[in-house]
Amino acid sequence: SCSRAKDVTMPAKLPVNFFSTRSPVIDLFRGQLDYADHLRQDSEIVLYFFYAPWCGQSVAAREEIEHVASKLSDQVLFVAVNCWWNQGKCRKQKHFFYFPVIHLYHRSFGPIEYKGPMSAVYIEKFVRRVMTPLLYISSRSKLLDFLSNYEPGVLGYFEFNASPQPPGYLTFFTSALHSLKKDYLGTIRFGVITDKRVAEEVSLVHSGSVYLHRHVNTSLFYPNDIMNYTAENICKWALENREVLIRWLRPHGGKSLLLNNELKKGPALLIFIPYNPLAEMHPLLDEITKVALEYHNCNKSQAAEPESQHLGDTDSPAFDSFVPDAHMKLPETFSITKYPCCNTVVLPQWHSISRTHNVCELCINQTLGVKPNKVHVPHCNFLEIEAALDSFYLQEHTFFQVISSTIECSNFLSFYSPFSYYTACCRTVNRRFLSFISSEKTIFQTPKVAFSSHGKKDNTQHSIPHIEDRNCFIPDLHISSTNITGLSCRTNKTLNLYLLDSNLFWIYAERLGATRSTHLKEFATIVDLKEEVHYVLDQNQSLVRSTLENFIKNFSILYSPLKRHLVDDPSIHFHQQHVITEVTSNTFHDTVFLSEKNVLLLYYAQWCGFCASLNHIFIQLARLLPPDNFTVARIDTTRNDLPWEFMTDRLPTILFFPHQRKEQSVKFPEDFSVNLPNLLKFILHHSSLSSSEPCTKECLHKERVLQQGHISHLEREIQKLRSEINALHQAHEQLEAQLTEARREEHRLQQQKHTLEKQHKTLQLHSEQLQATYDQKNQELLEMAEKLQELADASENLLKENTLLRILVAAREGKLQSKDEIKESLQSEQTLSEDNDVLVSAATATSEEKRTDNTDTTETEHSSGNRTE
Amino acid sequence: RERVRAMFYHAYEHYLESAFPYDELRPLTCDGQDTWGSFSLTLIDALDTLLILGNVSEFQRVVSVLQEGVDFDIDVNASVFETNIRVVGGLLSAHLLSKKAGIEVEAGWPCSGPLLRMAEEAARKLLPAFQTPTGMPYGTVNLLHGVNPGETPVTCTAGIGTFIVEFATLSHLTGDPVFEDVARKALKALWKNRSDIGLVGNHIDVITAKWVAQDAGIGAGVDSYFEYLVKGAILLQDKELMSMFLEYNKAIKNYTKFDDWYLWVQMYKGTVSMPVFQSLEAYWPGLQSLIGDIDNAMRTFLNYYTVWKQFGGLPEFYNIPQGYTVDKREGYPLRPELIESAMYLYRATRDPTLLELGRDAVESIEKISKVDCGFATIKDLRDHRLDNRMESFFLAETVKYLYLLFDPDNFIHNNGSAFDVVMTPYGECVLNAGGYVFNTEAHPIDPAALHCCRRQKEEQWEVEDLMQEFYSLKKIKKFPLKRASDHGDGESAKSPEGASSEKGEEKRKSRKSSHSLLTCPSQSFNSKLAVLGQVFLDNT
Repeated sequence: SCSRAKDVTMPAKLPVNFFSTRSPVIDLFRGQLDYADHLRQDSEIVLYFFYAPWCGQSVAAREEIEHVASKLSDQVLFVAVNCWWNQGKCRKQKHFFYFPVIHLYHRSFGPIEYKGPMSAVYIEKFVRRVMTPLLYISSRSKLLDFLSNYEPGVLGYFEFNASPQPPGYLTFFTSALHSLKKDYLGTIRFGVITDKRVAEEVSLVHSGSVYLHRHVNTSLFYPNDIMNYTAENICKWALENREVLIRWLRPHGGKSLLLNNELKKGPALLIFIPYNPLAEMHPLLDEITKVALEYHNCNKSQAAEPESQHLGDTDSPAFDSFVPDAHMKLPETFSITKYPCCNTVVLPQWHSISRTHNVCELCINQTLGVKPNKVHVPHCNFLEIEAALDSFYLQEHTFFQVISSTIECSNFLSFYSPFSYYTACCRTVNRRFLSFISSEKTIFQTPKVAFSSHGKKDNTQHSIPHIEDRNCFIPDLHISSTNITGLSCRTNKTLNLYLLDSNLFWIYAERLGATRSTHLKEFATIVDLKEEVHYVLDQNQSLVRSTLENFIKNFSILYSPLKRHLVDDPSIHFHQQHVITEVTSNTFHDTVFLSEKNVLLLYYAQWCGFCASLNHIFIQLARLLPPDNFTVARIDTTRNDLPWEFMTDRLPTILFFPHQRKEQSVKFPEDFSVNLPNLLKFILHHSSLSSSEPCTKECLHKERVLQQGHISHLEREIQKLRSEINALHQAHEQLEAQLTEARREEHRLQQQKHTLEKQHKTLQLHSEQLQATYDQKNQELLEMAEKLQELADASENLLKENTLLRILVAAREGKLQSKDEIKESLQSEQTLSEDNDVLVSAATATSEEKRTDNTDTTETEHSSGNRTE
Repeated sequence: RERVRAMFYHAYEHYLESAFPYDELRPLTCDGQDTWGSFSLTLIDALDTLLILGNVSEFQRVVSVLQEGVDFDIDVNASVFETNIRVVGGLLSAHLLSKKAGIEVEAGWPCSGPLLRMAEEAARKLLPAFQTPTGMPYGTVNLLHGVNPGETPVTCTAGIGTFIVEFATLSHLTGDPVFEDVARKALKALWKNRSDIGLVGNHIDVITAKWVAQDAGIGAGVDSYFEYLVKGAILLQDKELMSMFLEYNKAIKNYTKFDDWYLWVQMYKGTVSMPVFQSLEAYWPGLQSLIGDIDNAMRTFLNYYTVWKQFGGLPEFYNIPQGYTVDKREGYPLRPELIESAMYLYRATRDPTLLELGRDAVESIEKISKVDCGFATIKDLRDHRLDNRMESFFLAETVKYLYLLFDPDNFIHNNGSAFDVVMTPYGECVLNAGGYVFNTEAHPIDPAALHCCRRQKEEQWEVEDLMQEFYSLKKIKKFPLKRASDHGDGESAKSPEGASSEKGEEKRKSRKSSHSLLTCPSQSFNSKLAVLGQVFLDNT
């Protein structure tokens, strides 16, 4: 919208190296895509990194790529291409909507785009997957390994004896690569069985047949007869038919409906664990997988799982169903926690008539996060149990009320050690069970201390800890008769299970109430989007199988003991000036209900413009109100959840909780504008005590206190007025100064005016003179004009004469034509030129007249200008 | 954050060195030029950024330079709109911040002061533009002679409706209601001339009130009109302005919103006229966050962010179906709008994605547009050619919002936990309690300051009377009881704020709606998970 002096432009800066020259990554910073293609022929695996030099994400990913390249450069060729520079081949041929883009080629197959997080470990894992898309299974143990994984697996059996590339093998290989296109993590794993006997284990007989393993449902064979045997088809078939026990959620960072779609399916259990894709083993993940498998295992008879054969009926105790698992796997390391040591307590009979007892399972949990270098977990000693029992009996009354056919658990912290806490799971049982329980109890108590030990480096016999473990839990399982096997089908509150990598997505956990300070990024929560609630597995409890199972169980039962988790903002820092009390979820009850004062509570949010612009009014209010009787408080509703009954749907909302009648809170009417007098009236109206009983001594005392308050208030007020007067004085002085300044200015101006007037007079005189000269000049001009008119008349006469002459000449010409031609013509020419001269002089005279006119007008303008000045 | 700071000083020092006292720096030729007038525009615009960056001494120096050096009695044709937002807005915010910057203020502050007088003077120069039959101002005015004869009567919508924040502040501080009145009159004239389906066009004839350009959207030509309806409502606690905005908002959602993009439509028929996204439209998510529509804001923001990722900047026009820039409109003059929205949204969600945008913006601007003498406008985003211009909003807005995005503890983000008490001749005054309202050129205005000057004495006495009640046990019961009846039906129109006729009108309006207009909805449960690009669809 604005014109520019001149269009100076500058072309973009020339591209420079993006990667350092020492880097193992070949940097084609001029976008030489043709050269990049040329390079591809040299290497089996090539990774292309298309970047734009200005792109922050590219810059951030650069280091990660370099990191991967330094590890894999001997097997993979890393090529970075500047795909932004507009002179480069890459920019001309490719059209990307974002940067960076990573493409992988496995020989001629590709490009396989990597869509995962820009983190070195994930990229490396992906590259490795592309390098070896198939797992080769040559032995039975490897097969079991493969099958026991939670991720869906596709197996192909190929006879390599006949040829190095049996028919169909290549297609199978390509389909494995193909699946990586769809899913950067390759959650479907592809395996190749090379041994015939091993193949028979999964009933694969013919070379070239393909098998999809499923844990819960029947496994499938690829229907060769219905679908063509192509890479795409196999991949599609596997994707469609795979079973998902537990899903990784990996938001890609762009706009997506992933969580929306998943969570709308129903309540979801989100488990956050730190995940390293390169790690050989994921003990925690394995454990969670087992829980998931159990949870989904609805129909045991169909389960083709070897280990599931060990599972008993639902009603009978499920003895460790994963014992066979134990020899397939390397020792599981329970590095994070040990299994708790437990004690069963039968509560003193509560109903002597009824045949029920409350039986509690008391466990000591110790989080070992704080002492990670301990090799051996300390045994569960008698002292600890006793301490636990002490604390338990202190809280006993809470368990007395329980009559429930299901198990209910609660935790309480140890009084002695902040790192251990107790879990008590109680249940009412019928008397007929009691004998059994007591027998269990004796078993339990004979060794006095029931202990379980899991050494990290305990690789002697892995079955033993399992048995101990089971021992520990027998009472629990007996009493509750609940285990989560197949729970997903038995409850109408079916959970979907999800995993999130807490290295990448911890922010979700934080927003759901995970503590920020924890170094151990493990967190489990059940989110129910429809009900707008979520439950949190106590973070003091470590994330192990038992706690997770309990968590799921507690959610599933009819009257769930889980409490809605209220997210609380821990980062409140009190400002020294805090006249307004900042309330959080935790302090809400104390500040509002337990305090002896009238409380005015403001619900606000920092982002809401209407709240922020009221700040100053509330500060004023808080400064005015007598602090002994009133609290002005506020709560940031974005960071703090409150119980439903105290939630509001609009912000800002102002609630008043009158002293002594806290339950009768009142809301500031919305159609009144929020200002100081209105707020005061509102408070006055609702805080008025209707105690009209005769004045007692107490009342007198009260009144005195009040009066004192009033006095101090008035004193403050007077102080304020004084300073106001002070300010007024200052302003007054300032004004006075300005006034004298103005007077001086006025004086000066008046003087100026005088001189100006004088000037004006002289100017007027001057203009009169000018007028006079003007008139004179005008007169002269008129005369001149007359003269000129005369001249013009004369010239007209001349013209007439001229024409006459011409006629004469013509007449003469006729006569003298024959006589002397040349002489005559010369004569006539002379007369003509004379005439012209006369005409020219007349014209100049008129133009001169005009010019004088012009100067006249400017002169008049000028003089009038002077006058106005 | 430190990189942003370095960016600011690189540009600022080169402006002082090569371009001062011109309006703007020309970074490629290392000299200056006058663009919007001749009042060292970049310096005025960058003034409060200095303070936000914490440079108190330079702020003080510049204030004294401006007091001496800037003169509005000049024969210059200036844009009414730009002069208002940049000069008046800049001076007002500098005036209100001057105490914070440690400047010795005069006794009447914040109701008087040299910068305020300058702002008032500049604003008075603009008043002749409002002398039209409709009350809508001309687009350009000569600072010395008023409206030029033969001046075009066609003004863009934003040029009419972008005064209320500065002018109302000015009226409240100086006590002269003329500013607020003309601004309100212009707003109402626009409201009256909206189409049957509730939309406003792009340009209007201020004499005849005929729409000249009938494209309706949220971007260029209209943008700050909507912005000021909301910000005016917040600043003045004005329900009328808010109800106007909500009506517009409804129409905009109905006719222009497609898949979280906002297109341009014909204002009478509602048919799509241009399927483009304009870089100026990127302020919208920030505005939505102020009124609590955060999930919609985030969804739209993420759309805009993809465009940034494609080019390293936002083209003036982006054709959405084609996914590419529009011919002749492929420049990026380092506009702040997207970063502004990121700052507002970050306040609300703390979503790291927003910081990522900040990082990308710093990276892009440094890599692409940094030259020896400052930062140059990108002429063409397709090949990153540069143009010889650095707009004053780069220092006033782009850098400011970037810095604030990375500095969550800045005093500007104060949520009311800190405040200052100032004694004025009009009584005690609480200031700097947060809730700063940014004008459309990113100049913060303290809403509390509006209540400091010419506060009605009656209100003070009323407060005092009421305070007396608190200290009496039960003697004068009648008073609260009387209030009770008032509260009972909420009517009776007695309350002190019903003094002005305007407020009375507003009261009638508010009666209709079930909840007060001046509130935000609280966030739903799924907002806890709406970060890192996750968006949720409405449950309804």
